[in-house]
Amino acid sequence: MQKFLKKIALYGLGAFLLVNVLAIAVLYGLRKSSFYKPSYVASHYAPKNLDYVVIGSSIGLTTLNTQRIDSLTGLQGFNLSIDDTSLSSNYLMLQHFFAQGKTAKNCILALSYWDADNAQPTLNNNDYRFLPFINESYVHDYYAEMESGYFKPLTFSQYIPAIGVAYYNTELIVPSLLGMVQPQRKNRFDAHGDYAYPGEGISKKVPFKTVTVSWKNPFIQRIADLCAQHQTRLIVYQAPQYHTQVVIEHPDYRILNHSQYFTEAKYFYDAIHVNYRGRQAATDAVVKAINEGCFKK
Amino acid sequence: MLFNSIGFLLFLPLVFGVYWSLSRKALWIQNAFLLAASYFFYACWDWRFLFLLLFSTVLDYYTGLRMHQARTPKAKTFWFWLSIGVNLSFLGAFKYYDFFATSFQSLMGQMGLKVDVVTLSLVLPVGISFYTFHGLSYVIDIYKNRIEPERNPITYALFVTYFPLLVAGPIERATHLLPQIKVKRQFSYSLAVEGIQQIVWGLFKKVVVADNCAFFVDEIFKNSGSLSGGELLGGMFLFSFQIYGDFSGYSDIALGTSKLFGIQLLKNFNFPYFATDIADFWRKWHISLSSWFRDYVYIPLGGSQGTRMRQLRNVMVIFLLSGFWHGANWTFIVWGLLHALLFIPLLLLKRNRNSVHQTGYRWSDGFRMLTTFVLVSIAWVFFRADSLTDAVHYLTRMTHLYPFDFDIFYKNAKYTLLTGITVLALLYLLVQEGYWVFKKQSQPVFSTRWTLWVIVMLFAMGTYRNQMSFIYFQF
Repeated sequence: MQKFLKKIALYGLGAFLLVNVLAIAVLYGLRKSSFYKPSYVASHYAPKNLDYVVIGSSIGLTTLNTQRIDSLTGLQGFNLSIDDTSLSSNYLMLQHFFAQGKTAKNCILALSYWDADNAQPTLNNNDYRFLPFINESYVHDYYAEMESGYFKPLTFSQYIPAIGVAYYNTELIVPSLLGMVQPQRKNRFDAHGDYAYPGEGISKKVPFKTVTVSWKNPFIQRIADLCAQHQTRLIVYQAPQYHTQVVIEHPDYRILNHSQYFTEAKYFYDAIHVNYRGRQAATDAVVKAINEGCFKK
Repeated sequence: MLFNSIGFLLFLPLVFGVYWSLSRKALWIQNAFLLAASYFFYACWDWRFLFLLLFSTVLDYYTGLRMHQARTPKAKTFWFWLSIGVNLSFLGAFKYYDFFATSFQSLMGQMGLKVDVVTLSLVLPVGISFYTFHGLSYVIDIYKNRIEPERNPITYALFVTYFPLLVAGPIERATHLLPQIKVKRQFSYSLAVEGIQQIVWGLFKKVVVADNCAFFVDEIFKNSGSLSGGELLGGMFLFSFQIYGDFSGYSDIALGTSKLFGIQLLKNFNFPYFATDIADFWRKWHISLSSWFRDYVYIPLGGSQGTRMRQLRNVMVIFLLSGFWHGANWTFIVWGLLHALLFIPLLLLKRNRNSVHQTGYRWSDGFRMLTTFVLVSIAWVFFRADSLTDAVHYLTRMTHLYPFDFDIFYKNAKYTLLTGITVLALLYLLVQEGYWVFKKQSQPVFSTRWTLWVIVMLFAMGTYRNQMSFIYFQF
């Protein structure tokens, strides 16, 4: 029995060390790559002092073309939005951006109106992309707060990296290897952080509706506080929506509501996302707002 | 508590430690502890069904004793049929009542008669088919005077409830398991190491092979109406590997776990996809169930003795029963029927007992293996489909040659990556098992370096985010 326990302990420890060394290598490779946006912002995106950043989910990612904004206004900005996320992830991304020693004078928060009303946010599908930065307190604290249940693979990864890497292995291991071979390769975003959806418009009939944002999500205020802390002006932006009028009012936030800026189906990829044509029109509308002093008032 | 869960990872070392620390105490203390651990294990699924398990245990224990003590054959027969009747009634009520009721209603409807039936919609207690069959084998063996009844209630309860086999087998025999429970177990280093290695291999088959296949299988069977013939063909073969990885992986974990406690369970799989015909397949697939039906149904019916018609009837009976055992659905019955139809020609040609293991493999056996695998895979479509109509539509669409593409397997980066992982996992499984088969190993042979390599594959290729239950838990 003693021999068995010794062997189990020895080989158990060996296996434990082996998978953790592999996990550390995976996270290191990912951290140095451009594959996911948090790594790109930390390791490859050089500018430090920006005029503006865009935070948001897929709506922010695919609606605002920061390259076009920059070329039309002479400003310098970056799109920090990540698809399949929500306000909590946007808050984490903004923290991550500031933690790299970068600043922005303005922060455009591309709102998902249903998310603003979510009183109990949970972990988002793409939050694992911050795992290479698990040793940063803001990332670890975020995971600890957002992961539910007794088994928290992302949170535990601060101590045992193999847990998180094994849990999200398909999302982390191959991208890490790709990042080692092609350090400039990015996953669905360009050098400005932008991405566009294709499509010639939607044909599906969608009934018209009006929704009013009631601001139940606690992360809105956290984002506002974080912006205030870094002397960054927060602008809440509502992107065009197909057949949906979004009513947004708040005494403290500056709001740019373009929910009904255009309504034709040809501008949309689906009911909540614009296509490349809608992206240009929506971006031009924001440029117009900037030229009219949106960043100055 | 799933074998591939964090809970089990904590449960197993704890039970192992306490169990062997009790090895110097009386045997009944060690057995009582293992029994308590088994009840806890079962209660983690649903504690309410513990009462059903206890009732079944008490019933078979008591009727076993009464049969043995019976002074007349009539009394013995009475206790025998009481046990069989009550056991099958419970199994019937929980598993089959609704099926019979709705099938009856449907039949009457087709005859133009409207009949209202009451359905129970009961939740199926986990492992009921398995522990009922344990109990039945015990009672039948006593009735047939093959064994003496077990007098120690703890020993008997442990035989029925032993946690590695409780929820999905292997279906044990009293003649095999009880003698091991009744004697003091000595810790065996080599057996324990083999157990750990078998657990690791079982986890690989479940978490890497079966669960990666499941990702595509679920989507393909769900959207079979809109997919191409090539995609459906891929889905069919992937399900063959999913169910093998899932069930044989479970069996490996069960056998490996049991070896840690010094108890050897019946082998349940013997590389079935290397079978050269259907008869050979059934000697290698779910061995504990097929041998149960052989010993307790097929042979009592006359087996391969008697007239040709009688032989055919017996074959039909055991294959249909085997299908029906899996679940109350016509899909399982047709699955059993298909296997019977594939088996009958071998019986008629008297080739159902050929064993390649005795003669050695030839190159031509590769073609026979492939043919058997394709036939078994076609039958699996009925096993996996929700209804007979779905299965027939699936197979019909599969034959459509235009369009015949495999787009679903690389429709985006995620799918392409998962396809790569699945193909790698399957290749490794086939090469590894093929090596063991051609080396004429009757079971996997492990080494320490190999185990570490499999652990790395578990780390890099396992599916953990969408943890899936074992398919056979539903039976």
